[in-house]
Amino acid sequence: MSRKLTVVLLAMLVLVGAMSLKTVVVTHGDGSVIMANGGAPQPPTPWKNGGAPQPPTPWKNGGAPQPPTPWK
Amino acid sequence: MEIVLGPYEYVVWLACTLLEIAVLVCAFKKDALRRYILLNVYMAASVLVSIARYNILSHYGFTSKEYLYFYYYSDSLLTIALYFALVSLYSHIFADLKAERYIRLGTVLLLSGTALFSYAVVQQFSSKLVTHFVVELSQNLYFVGLVLTYILWAAVLKMRETRTRLIQLVLSMGVYFSLFAANFALQNLYQSRGAFFEVLTPLFGCFLPLSWAYTFWQVPEEARTVPSQLAVVPR
Repeated sequence: MSRKLTVVLLAMLVLVGAMSLKTVVVTHGDGSVIMANGGAPQPPTPWKNGGAPQPPTPWKNGGAPQPPTPWK
Repeated sequence: MEIVLGPYEYVVWLACTLLEIAVLVCAFKKDALRRYILLNVYMAASVLVSIARYNILSHYGFTSKEYLYFYYYSDSLLTIALYFALVSLYSHIFADLKAERYIRLGTVLLLSGTALFSYAVVQQFSSKLVTHFVVELSQNLYFVGLVLTYILWAAVLKMRETRTRLIQLVLSMGVYFSLFAANFALQNLYQSRGAFFEVLTPLFGCFLPLSWAYTFWQVPEEARTVPSQLAVVPR
């Protein structure tokens, strides 16, 4: 039982570590890469597999300029 | 505005696909196809996805929704395949400890945890939830893979693993993940020079098939190395 709990703990530690690392890596980004809603040119993603060119983000609707965020 | 792909993108893409095929050929020739089956499944999937992407790109165009959706969904599947390929290296390293059962448990837990975390992040989006989830899962799994590779390298050093081919595969995975992460971080840090880093990104995609092809072709299964000698800086 304790070995299984150790595996659970390790899995959680890896997940926390990975998400922390991701946060560090995207710290200086403007957020458009991961949750890209803006009209800024999209930088390439680091999780790209293979050499195929990357298309624009799939959730970008239309070419209208992005308004300022409502809480600014 | 219509985005036109230049010869550079096509040449790198073709080179990358040819290197992926080379990995499969080298693994077949050197009897490593079954021993590293998940690594080869990942490479075979990469080749198939590359061909399908090219077909869709040539039929519908770079900015088409067909290519766009296929790109992101297939990328997510490839990242999951790469995750399992990485876990299979854990099985090789920990084979003597009979820890197969625990590795399987950890693999499923980590994948489920990452999926849950990704869903928790994207559930705020009311539209295109699935697409958001797919892309979020893909990138989160990428960072999980990055951390897992570092842990695996630490395990290789700690357990004094000597199989050169295995060490090369782990190291190449670590360099591959690190290259993309570093490129991504630098691109965010120096956004004015984004074009430079954009040129580098597809080139980095060629590193993993190149290093795996080299490993399968040049390094025999019986070759042995002392990894502590690789990590120690001579004085």
